[in-house]
Amino acid sequence: MDSLISKGNAVKPLNKKRKRGNTETRPAKPPPPSDLTAASISRTTSLPKSLRPTSPPPGQIPKHSHVKDIKLRSHLNRQASNAARAKALLRDAELLLTNDAGTIQVENEMERTWRVGQKEIVEDVGQEAAKGRQEWKLDGGPYRSRYTRNGRHLAIVGKTGHVATFDWQTGTIHTELQLQETCRDITFLQDQSFFAVAQKKYAFIYDRDGVEIHRLKAHIEPTRLEFLPYHWLLVSVGNTGHLKYQDTSTGSLVADHRTKLGACRTMTQNRHNAVIHLGHQNGVVTLWTPNLPHPAVQLLAHLGPVVGLSVDPSTGGRYMASSGADGIVKVWDCRNWKGCVREWTTRGGGAELEWSAKGALAVATGGSVNMYTKPSIQTFFAPKVPPPLYLTHPIPHRPLTSVRFCPFQDILTVGHNAGLSSILVPGSGEANFDSAEADPFENKKARREREVKGLLDKIQPDMIALDPDFVGSLAPPPKLTTAVNDKHDIPFARLPRLERLRIEGKAEETEIDADADEVGGANEEEGVVSTNDKRSVGEREKKRMRGRGKSLKRYLRKQRKNVIDPTAVAIRSKLEKQREEKRIAKERAKGEIEPKKPSALDRFRRP
Amino acid sequence: MKISVLQHAPSAHLPIRPGDPTPTSRNLDPLMHPFARARERTRALNAAKMERMFAKPFLRALEGHIDAIEVLCRRPGTLNTVASGSWDGGILVHDIAEQKQVHRIQDAHQGKVSGLCFSQDNGLLSCGVDTNIKFWDISPRDEEVQQKPLHIFSGKSPFNSIDHHRSDPIFATASNIVQIWDETKTAAVSNLTFPTATETVTSVRFNLSETSVLGSIGSDRSFTLYDIRSGKAERRVTMQMRSNALAWSPTLPTLVLLASEDHNLYTFDVRQLSNPTQIYKAHVSAVMSCDWSPTGLEFVSGGWDRTVRIWKEGKGTRPEVYHTKRMQRVSSTVFTADARFVISGSDDGNVRIWKAKAHEKLGIITARERAAIEYRESLKERWKYDQEVGKISRARHLSKAVHEAAKLKQTMLEAQRVKEERRRKHTRAGESKPKAERKKVVLAEQS
Repeated sequence: MDSLISKGNAVKPLNKKRKRGNTETRPAKPPPPSDLTAASISRTTSLPKSLRPTSPPPGQIPKHSHVKDIKLRSHLNRQASNAARAKALLRDAELLLTNDAGTIQVENEMERTWRVGQKEIVEDVGQEAAKGRQEWKLDGGPYRSRYTRNGRHLAIVGKTGHVATFDWQTGTIHTELQLQETCRDITFLQDQSFFAVAQKKYAFIYDRDGVEIHRLKAHIEPTRLEFLPYHWLLVSVGNTGHLKYQDTSTGSLVADHRTKLGACRTMTQNRHNAVIHLGHQNGVVTLWTPNLPHPAVQLLAHLGPVVGLSVDPSTGGRYMASSGADGIVKVWDCRNWKGCVREWTTRGGGAELEWSAKGALAVATGGSVNMYTKPSIQTFFAPKVPPPLYLTHPIPHRPLTSVRFCPFQDILTVGHNAGLSSILVPGSGEANFDSAEADPFENKKARREREVKGLLDKIQPDMIALDPDFVGSLAPPPKLTTAVNDKHDIPFARLPRLERLRIEGKAEETEIDADADEVGGANEEEGVVSTNDKRSVGEREKKRMRGRGKSLKRYLRKQRKNVIDPTAVAIRSKLEKQREEKRIAKERAKGEIEPKKPSALDRFRRP
Repeated sequence: MKISVLQHAPSAHLPIRPGDPTPTSRNLDPLMHPFARARERTRALNAAKMERMFAKPFLRALEGHIDAIEVLCRRPGTLNTVASGSWDGGILVHDIAEQKQVHRIQDAHQGKVSGLCFSQDNGLLSCGVDTNIKFWDISPRDEEVQQKPLHIFSGKSPFNSIDHHRSDPIFATASNIVQIWDETKTAAVSNLTFPTATETVTSVRFNLSETSVLGSIGSDRSFTLYDIRSGKAERRVTMQMRSNALAWSPTLPTLVLLASEDHNLYTFDVRQLSNPTQIYKAHVSAVMSCDWSPTGLEFVSGGWDRTVRIWKEGKGTRPEVYHTKRMQRVSSTVFTADARFVISGSDDGNVRIWKAKAHEKLGIITARERAAIEYRESLKERWKYDQEVGKISRARHLSKAVHEAAKLKQTMLEAQRVKEERRRKHTRAGESKPKAERKKVVLAEQS
């Protein structure tokens, strides 16, 4: 029997009773026996290569020493070290970014990039890259265009019904249609195999070969179309002022919002939170999600119709640009809608806007397209002057009806009355694509696989919100209070666990952040606390009980056990008040704060 | 002025020869991966749903007994051999891997076979209520012959349980006393009993690590520890309700699992018998049997409520639960030696084979499939606190009878609790203190 017990002790000792008294004076513990075990087997065992950590653990890892549960603590430590290691390894992953972004480098201060014309760029960059500079002369304009997500395919639509989709790099035309009626917008769905056209009366979906697949009768007189790729939603807004969300994977109409702001001709999406931005006739810009019947944000952006909207993808949708019919362009900070960051006036009225993946803003007004680059358009600047120009390109065929940057290329496609023209904008495109998201070189098999994976990962429409990171973050703490003013009816055993711990004074309120730089600070603070309070727990308790209000405190101490009742709460608050008064009196005596002078308003103060 | 424009070289992104894999490129910039978290959650949700869709734990029912099964016994050191004894007095030896019976001994005992255990070298010991212990040879043979026992050990009173020593040729039986037998001797070597006890011992088990220690449970609601070297009963505890089965942990030598009549299972550490280390609550009727997984991290229990439950050690609620329409009261359960399967024997006379992990895929798994399975597992683990994911992976279907019984039990316990609370509210403060559930289990400790 004794040998059994000693065997048990060797494997797992029984929990010892907690020792009372000062824990800091205890001598340092001998190293735990688990290390001995690990050392004894380490000579003959090894982790498989795939499970071995690829780099040594980074130095600054939070220790979670405040967590008592050993299992939980080691789990948290392991998680923190994994996170830190992953963060460190992320830096190495930059080696994978092999492509270089395009640039225009000036050689001296007097050179201006905007003086460079397309002719010079085409001459400088070489034959292969110059293929991006193209002019498509087409009848039936003005034209609008749209690229697929991988930037390989282009869809164009003319006002009078000329629709075409093609691979612009190889020049293969997938389909060309003459729809013989007014067409207002076009968009690809998940990839080049389907596209939707906003026609005179309804929106229609065609497949790659131009066969009409669906007539979306719910979308009446649509003017603008957007497709939310991760939610598989086709969004349209039209002359009726209704914003409609259609799920293209199930075919159901997910949401139909009446904007109550009349016909709408401007729409864009924020690619990072799938919020739809609408610009209205009365100068209002509204932000919509499918699960809210009213706009999530509504702001008066312009004095007159809004004609252009675009959201900056290079900062995760933080900035929005809007343009009015009066020719004013404004840049807004989407975190804070109090006034715009920057505004300026363009010549020639309503401007079409588009923000590139690297943060270049293209503004097409009157007879030219102007490009502006990042730091100047996103920093606050009160005077209403245009920011420094990056590039400009005149196009004589007014009106300019659409501007689209080609993803993963330095190409901007401008739609105008006489067709479309593609111009080169060095430095506007993202240089390195991720094959898991969008691949310009994907083959048929990869496209099919991506479609299936995309369907499996489809996000539900009700998860669209202004803050996309609300998924998987902690819920706000419940507002449950145990002590209700008059009655306190929930017995202790029925309270939620956190509440019980709080009453017992055992709740873990500290929260150590995983960020390494904050860890040092927290540890220092702990050190300060422990050195300041040298008295033992018993002594402190004894001292604490001396002084005024002793009976109240004794009452409280007795009450503390497992019940909160209104009297105790009242006493606690009274004591708190007394303590505060004492502190102020003390500081006054020291001369740290001056006593308040009596004022005539004192009579209204609450006693 | 230097001007350069972004270009992608097709040679770097297209396969060099036809048939080569397409090169992939990565950009880990978070802006390139919008909705990463939301998409991962969707994947976790799909993983949880897939787990429940593929949760088909029942593999096979092995027939052959005429009456209800009383006892099951796994052969130590093998993966596939399990013996079952029935109320009709028959014994069957099954091959789990091939899902068929290997041996059949009809009318081994008069009345039910109450205990079975394997000895070394193809020996099988069985005891019955006919006061006999029989030693059978179960070495594989070609033709079916009428079996005769090699030895018969006769006792004075009906036997309830038998267990073989881990290494030596001795075994212990439980009747009204605990007896130790030698395989080579016809009479019992020694009798073990607690001095003041006058009870029927229902089950006896040798400790797996310290092989001279043995535990027994009795009709007197007791759990007793004996040492065969000193030949004495060492300790004894009396509990609120009697236990139906006991099992020693294979990894922690001092840990013992008791299946109790009060619908719960208890793990006791024999170093501290005053309270159980954990209470396992989910059965809605008496627990009839229990057995540890060889890893010591899980155990299986079968109950009078017609369910088999698989528990994690140290987690007292929400076990995995298996039930079928045709399975009756489960009287015995066994974990296989590879911890992958669970065998249950029930009143309907069938031995059932279940997977220990309900959604596990059997058969050959390719490396890619394995990687996908592991990814899904870690997703489920990571998102288990999400409301929807957690709800799907926690939900278990119960038969209507069990569900109703659980509801009724819940109502009764709630009523008891409320009554207790009210009583406490109206007595003088501090007079009646609530007692922790774990402190209520043991009535008295003797040594």
